Amino acid sequence: MRAQIATMFAALALFLLAPLTAPAAEVSSARITAAASEPQNWLTYGGAYNSQRYSALTQITPANVGKLKSQWVLQDNVIGVWQSNPLVIDGVMYVTQRPNDVIALDAKTGKVFWQYRYTPSADAKVCCGSNNRGVAMLGDTLYMGTLDAHVVAIDARTGTRLWDKALADLNLGYSITMAPLVVKDEIVVGLGGGEFGIRGFITALDARTGAEKWKFYTIPGPGEPGHDTWRETDWQHGGGSAWVTGSYDPSLNLIYWGIGNPGPDWNAAQRPGDNLYSDSVIALDADTGKLKWHYQFTPNDNYDYDSVQVPVLADIAWQGRPTKVMMWANRNGNFYVLDRATGKFLSGTPFVKVNWMSGFDANGRPIQTPQPTGAATYPGNQGGTNWFPPAFNPKTGLFYVSAWENYGTIYRREQATYEAGKVFVGGGGAVVAPAPGSPTPGIGRKNLINNWTSETGNGAAVAIDPKTGKRAWTFPQYDVTEAGMMTSASGLVFTGGREGYVYALDAKTGKELWKAHLGGQINMAPITYAVDGKQFVAVIAGRTLVSFALEN
Amino acid sequence: MPIERPIRRTRTLLLSGAFAALAVLGGRAAAQVDDHSYSATDIQAGFRIYSAQCQLCHGPGGDQIAGVNLARQRFKRAVSDDDIKATVTSGLPAAGMPAFRFQPAELNSIVAFIRSGFDTSATPFKLGDAGRGRAVFEGKGGCTACHQPRGEGRLNAPSLAEVGANRQPVEIQRYLLEPDKAMLPINRRATITTRDGRTVQGRRLNEDSYSVQVRDADQRLHSIAKADIRTYDLARTSGMPSYAGKLSEGELADLMAYLVSLKGN
Repeated sequence: MRAQIATMFAALALFLLAPLTAPAAEVSSARITAAASEPQNWLTYGGAYNSQRYSALTQITPANVGKLKSQWVLQDNVIGVWQSNPLVIDGVMYVTQRPNDVIALDAKTGKVFWQYRYTPSADAKVCCGSNNRGVAMLGDTLYMGTLDAHVVAIDARTGTRLWDKALADLNLGYSITMAPLVVKDEIVVGLGGGEFGIRGFITALDARTGAEKWKFYTIPGPGEPGHDTWRETDWQHGGGSAWVTGSYDPSLNLIYWGIGNPGPDWNAAQRPGDNLYSDSVIALDADTGKLKWHYQFTPNDNYDYDSVQVPVLADIAWQGRPTKVMMWANRNGNFYVLDRATGKFLSGTPFVKVNWMSGFDANGRPIQTPQPTGAATYPGNQGGTNWFPPAFNPKTGLFYVSAWENYGTIYRREQATYEAGKVFVGGGGAVVAPAPGSPTPGIGRKNLINNWTSETGNGAAVAIDPKTGKRAWTFPQYDVTEAGMMTSASGLVFTGGREGYVYALDAKTGKELWKAHLGGQINMAPITYAVDGKQFVAVIAGRTLVSFALEN
Repeated sequence: MPIERPIRRTRTLLLSGAFAALAVLGGRAAAQVDDHSYSATDIQAGFRIYSAQCQLCHGPGGDQIAGVNLARQRFKRAVSDDDIKATVTSGLPAAGMPAFRFQPAELNSIVAFIRSGFDTSATPFKLGDAGRGRAVFEGKGGCTACHQPRGEGRLNAPSLAEVGANRQPVEIQRYLLEPDKAMLPINRRATITTRDGRTVQGRRLNEDSYSVQVRDADQRLHSIAKADIRTYDLARTSGMPSYAGKLSEGELADLMAYLVSLKGN
């Protein structure tokens, strides 16, 4: 009896102490596979291996979302857009800030445990900002890619570095801005540098040592399938970056990854052929990195239509048959449904104005309709959407994406000469605008946050029914948006935009249910998690990370 | 007929002109420009040469070398067109810039492309004498009726204190000749009536999904929630008159040169 009481007291003491100590978090690939069973955590970039960014948490509902209040704020102390996707594991949040800092904090209070700072080489080259989109976690180790193309392993308990591995020559323009993906005991990363004439690759590292397990070149070399889609030596500087995190299907043991633009970006005439595997999705065997299938969205791309979007995986009824599909809202303006076991094209439908192609042939290959010199191509250079993550809600059956509307670019083509580490783009472009010099949508914003006019294009949160490819609803925004999406089982969609508003929308209708103005651009999708039974929604705007919850 | 100015002027003359302009402007730095015509053919040819020979180091926007912004006319040493040509021809070995052997016509083209502010539409323009241009600005042009030297003038006409740094010459020319087509959409004049019966008229400063900010003719600031708006009209025309046909070609070139010289402090 006495022993029982002692045990009870010990258990009670442990229970009381538990919230006061940093919990021991041990993440495994099996745990990420079953992420849906622990919705209090955000275990990997896309929330789960299927990258649906769908949460089973239901404390915040359409009925009470109007009562969300800010619980805590973390201020960033570096300059530039903050595109990081936090992870939350057993009450601890791990978020990166520019260029390559990792911060571990109490997800309930925002109090910081530790900060790790990696200083990338001053010679690191990035086309579009010193971005980092987050870490991956396996065991009690965090993994981060760096601007100078290293991967570092960091002890999640102490914030100290365990190993550091250089993956490529940064003088050739390689970089890493994406969050790694944990698959089994591998850390999978893709390289950036598509504007510098790199030859892109995806590689898997041994999580314990950083040793390379496999490497897949996104631009095939001599003897490899797809090499014949390049002329002579063009492949050597063919681009094919892979700067956004992919998805994984444990049941098929396939990793899916979106591949970036061919090099040079805007002068397709300089690299005749389809230019595989640029602007494609590739399915790789998770153990060997061998190519299982591919589908190319934009062959011989003339518009920089990077396919660096997140593959969203779901098992849905397709024409009456249960089908393992992949859904993809592409930068080129089309929404696609593919069979992810075989790569078969099931459907493709424009979700914004598209004039670079007029339809698809029987094999799902786009029928291209190049516009005359001086005429605008739709969607514009940044695309109908871009890298910011979409979401899928199995309950509504709808796919949610941040879209850019009424936005076209007039391109200029030039012969580009490759020089190691130098910009290799082959021209440029101008966005259609009502008057010369008008601010137009592009990467980043220089003018005031509310200094915009929809005359040069605008954004929208869009819901697409994958069965038809048609829009179920549109939530128009005055400015463009890079916010991405998160959706929940209670029927909510969380998103935002460059204007600095974060929104909760009704997932079925798109009706605005709640908004808050945070005063800075939202450049990454919100996440949701729970600590001690309380559901939070965290979003980054400008230089602040804000976590919202219902008042007690 | 407009008076044709000699194309070539010596650097000494230019510098003395610049100092004179500085004195007149009360200490405001006025970058000197040559009295030159820049043709569409030259700008286009310059663009081709620039893309092939200069872009690798200077970048597509001309701003890839620290301290230099070719499109914005920010150079380390060069002031005149001849200075630019001399730099291209002799190179800057200490800075790693090689010497280029171009024909005189090619050099003219490169200068035209740079002076156009990298205007790939290659609209021809002409720059005259900034000192005389100031006289046009204050006299015949009547510009000071609306535009003040600093800050905003009457009727919300924008400040021109930095127009030479913020706008390409061809954009300035377009404002002078076709103000309705040149005006930036955000600057459209707004007339708003609210649900409670107020009317606000003025220049639109900012707008987002839920609100619009306006400054009225009395310089009062209004921030209006769209939910409170009954009617909202944006004028498609500018309040500025067109100077097409009102100024001679020479006067226009002089006025252009004056405006291009206004680069703030």
